Formats: sequence, structure tokens, C-alpha cells
Amino acid sequence: MSELPHLASIFDRLRRGYHLGPDDEQFSALCERYDDYARYFDALGLKLVRHPREFFYFEPDNPETVPDTLPRIAAFSYIIVDHAANQGRPIEEFIFDQSFLITALPHLSMDRYAALLRDVEVFDMGHINTLLNQMERIGWIRRIGEDEFRFLRPFHRVLSKCLEITQSAQTAQATANPPVET
Amino acid sequence: MKINPQSFFNFCASHTYLLRKLAEHDGEISEFETIRLVRSNPAIEELPETTWRRLRELQILVPTEPGSEFYLMAEPVARLLAYLANEANAATPEMIRGYVSSLEITTKRLDRSLDDQDTQQVALAFDEISQTLRRIYADLNETQHAILTEVARYKTERSRVSVRQKYQRIVHWMERYVEPMIEIVRADGPLRAAFEETERLLHRAREEALFNDHPALARNLRFLRLVGVHALRVFTQCRKEIQPLYESLRRSSFIAEGAARALEKLQAEGLAKWGSQYLIGIAMERYQNVPSDAAITLALRRIIEYSPEAPPFLEFTTEKENPLALLRLRWLDSLPDAVRSIVPLADLLGWLVNTYPERDTSEIVAAFGLLVFHRDFQATFIDESQHTYATHDGEITASPLILAST
Repeated sequence: MSELPHLASIFDRLRRGYHLGPDDEQFSALCERYDDYARYFDALGLKLVRHPREFFYFEPDNPETVPDTLPRIAAFSYIIVDHAANQGRPIEEFIFDQSFLITALPHLSMDRYAALLRDVEVFDMGHINTLLNQMERIGWIRRIGEDEFRFLRPFHRVLSKCLEITQSAQTAQATANPPVET
Repeated sequence: MKINPQSFFNFCASHTYLLRKLAEHDGEISEFETIRLVRSNPAIEELPETTWRRLRELQILVPTEPGSEFYLMAEPVARLLAYLANEANAATPEMIRGYVSSLEITTKRLDRSLDDQDTQQVALAFDEISQTLRRIYADLNETQHAILTEVARYKTERSRVSVRQKYQRIVHWMERYVEPMIEIVRADGPLRAAFEETERLLHRAREEALFNDHPALARNLRFLRLVGVHALRVFTQCRKEIQPLYESLRRSSFIAEGAARALEKLQAEGLAKWGSQYLIGIAMERYQNVPSDAAITLALRRIIEYSPEAPPFLEFTTEKENPLALLRLRWLDSLPDAVRSIVPLADLLGWLVNTYPERDTSEIVAAFGLLVFHRDFQATFIDESQHTYATHDGEITASPLILAST
């Protein structure tokens, strides 16, 4: 257990909310010895999550405590998913198979999206840039120069959340309107 | 002959664009609309009225019912145009079920004819079976073609149709055509059962020598097996083609729905009521309540440098005299009553110093403050030069102040 490679750097990054994906040097070590790392962190009261899409993160300790950044990141992410859906291409293909020009994002150029962002106190391009920096710090995007970025694999957490929302809505609907037996 | 083929094809050759437009028109079409179409696609050296008349004469357009002013493109012409344009219309499961029922009825008749040894009826049933099989085969091919065209269109189409709409359309294809059709054509389905019964009767016809066209009989038997295998293969292939697209669109559609629901909630109820249900939790471990190095050093130094000392001595016996602080408090409390009978005072501070010369400066100032801010009195500064008031332990320099009752 004491020979776990990159332990300090893995812990240091994960505890700050970073998601370790294939672009990170510690990723292969985590893949190979996931169980060992999970046991080690479990003893410290931290749950190491291995997402089905192959990336790692610490389960948030107290989801009731909501930092200001979370609603902003969520609103930004849902908007890009909504925009992708309107393009008629499979959403994952749209999000992960291209890079995005920050100035060409639909977030502020479409009134509906801009109004939604105002609700989470994102008003201008400066705020969008701050938001992107935060998303880069947690390993969801990677900037390519000043004006461009790509979504990284851990952005699948947003897509998983979308599926979860749909599923719970459908379950609620099914509970409210049970099928009539004939 | 009902329609002269030469005239028919000559007309079609010179009016291909018009025929195409008529074929694309869904449902019935009025005379007015037809003439409008004719005028917008004029043929060389022909009046629109002539074109309209020829369309009816050649039975390209037929009235929806006798005497009706509405027309439909004649089914054989529509099929011919679809064939020429390489377009395919998928057969519905109901159509295939209809063929199966038709086959079942025909085989029953064939069975009876064999029992009765009625060769005429056997031959008729045989012809009917051949035709039904050919129709099934043609419709299966057309359905496969239609489904594959639809799948290819989805894969290549880059139009801005939302994934949810695309998903609904592909679900329609999946649920309307592919799945019910597989139910019909699978190995233990109604199509195979009807085919097996037909095959049994055809064998019987050959054995009982009631149908002597052996090559035709052998051809029908081969065709039966071919159609049975082909039907299953066609729809299994269709499902294989459509399934990945269906799964991909299904996932995308669900993702899109989730995002739309989250945004709708934010829009409708604002951030305050958005709730953590829509947030994506992120670990933000911070060191909390952990002592710094300086704090640890200080604590250690206090321990190391600690020298024991005796606890303070507490006197538990009753004091003989009142404490000074209590006496001072009582004096202060008595002042309003003392002043009330003699107000107005022209110089409050002067009165205090003269009346209580034994009191020190802090007590005089405390008494002054108490009386100035007391609710029963009103204090007014007067514009006079400052005086110096000597107290028991010092002096106070201040302007005089008048104290009156409120």
C-alpha cells in the first residue's frame, strides 16, 4: 500500500475537485491499481469514484454545502448540452469531437441563454472566462490558447447528471400515472 | 385495351416533371390545384386544359369517388413512378399480416380442394399462393430499402433538426416497422407457420398427382423457403442497422431532455429554488480547524515555560464593610432624587464639585454623565468661557451647563 505511485499528487489534485482523466500522467496508475487507491482513500474517509467512462474523482463530501461556482458551472454546462441537442447531431459527438471558440459560444449570444446565466450571476465574457478557468481547474476542459477550449472526458459527469434528471422525471411521471390494467 | 401504352408513355415522357410533382403531392388533389401545377410546369405546345384532360383520359389521375372533384394518382402509376425514382414505401406490419391471412385462407381452400380432388380449384389456389408470395417478397424488399434509406439519411443528414425530434422519428420506424415485423416473420411467428402449412399442402398436391406442373410446383416450394428465410434476414439486418442509431439517439435524446428540464427549472423558479438536484457535486476538501505551525509552537512554548503558581486566595467570610464600588453605585443612584428638588441648576459641574468635594474626578464625571443623560432632566450648554473646577484629586476644565427638569 505504501508503494502506491503518485499518491501525494493524486491526493492533492483530487481533493481540490480535479477529475483525473487519460490526459493526466497519474491516470494509468489509477487505472491499474484502482482498488488499492480506493482502499487507501477510504481509510481517510474519502471515496474515490471510477466513472464508467474511465476517469476518477473524489465523491463530494457534503453535497448540501453549495459553493457559488457549482450553479454557474451547471448552468453553463446545461446550456452547451441544450445547444448541442438543437444542432441535430449526437450530443457526445458534438461536445467531444471539436474545439470551441469562446467568442462563438451561444451562452451570451442567445437571449434565452443569457437570461439563464444572469440568474447565476454570469453577465459578460469576463465571467465566462472565469467560469472556464474554474472548469479547467477541475479537469473538465482544456484551453487551447487564449480563445479556444476543448471538453475533456470528465465532462461526462454533466451528461450523466442529465440522464439522471430524465430518469427521475420519468420515474416520477410513471408513479403519478401508473399504467391502467385491463 | 383500356389505355394505349404508346400514348401513355409518350405523355409520361413529355411530362416527367409534372408527374413527379403529382406523385409528391400527398393525398387527394383538386382540379384547381392540378391545373395550377400544370401551369407552373408547362409542356411545350400544349394548353394546360389539354394536359388536364389527358391526365384523366390516360387514368393517371382518377376521381376519389364517381363524380368527385377530387383526384388521386392511380396506384399503378404511383408505384411505377416510385420504381423509376428508386423510391420505396415500407410495408406496414398490417399489410404483411394481411398477406399471411390471405395465405392461410388460400391454403385452407387448397386443403379442401385436395380432399375433393378438384384439380381446377387446386390450380387456382396454386396461382393465388404464387402471387401472394411474390407480393410478400416485393414488399419485404421495398421495406428493407425504405428502412436503409431512412437510416442512411439520419447518418448523413446535418440539418438542424433537434436530436429529440430525430429520436422520435427513429423510434417511430423501430416501433412501427422493424419490431412488429420481426414478430411476424420470426421462426415461430405466423408467417413461418403459414408457409409451413402451404409447403405441406404443395407436397401433398404433388404426391396425390393433383397438380402436374412439377417445375412450377418446385419453383413455388423454393420460393416459399426463400421468402421465409429472406423475410427474417431482411428484418434482422434492418434491426442491426437501425439499433445503434436508435441507441445513440435515445441516449442523446435523454441527455437533451435532462438539460432542458434543468434549464426550465432555473428559468421558472430562479437560482434560489433550483436546488442541489441539478448541481454536479465536486469534492472541495479544505483543511479546516487544523492548527498552523506558529500555533503549535506557541502551545509548546507555553507548556515548556509553564511554572506552577498557587491559586488565588478567595475570602469566603462576610465582609464587615460595604465595598467601595457598591457605595459609589448607591451614591450615583441617589443623585437624581437629590437634584430633582433643586433644579434648575445654573452650573451642574460647579454644584457637583461644591456639594461633594470628597469625590474624585472619575466619580464627578460619572455623576455628571448620569444626570446629563437622565430622562427626567434636560441639559443645556451655555455660551460662556470655560471654568476650571477643582476636584478631590485634580481639576476639570469645562463650560458651565444648565440642568433643568423636563
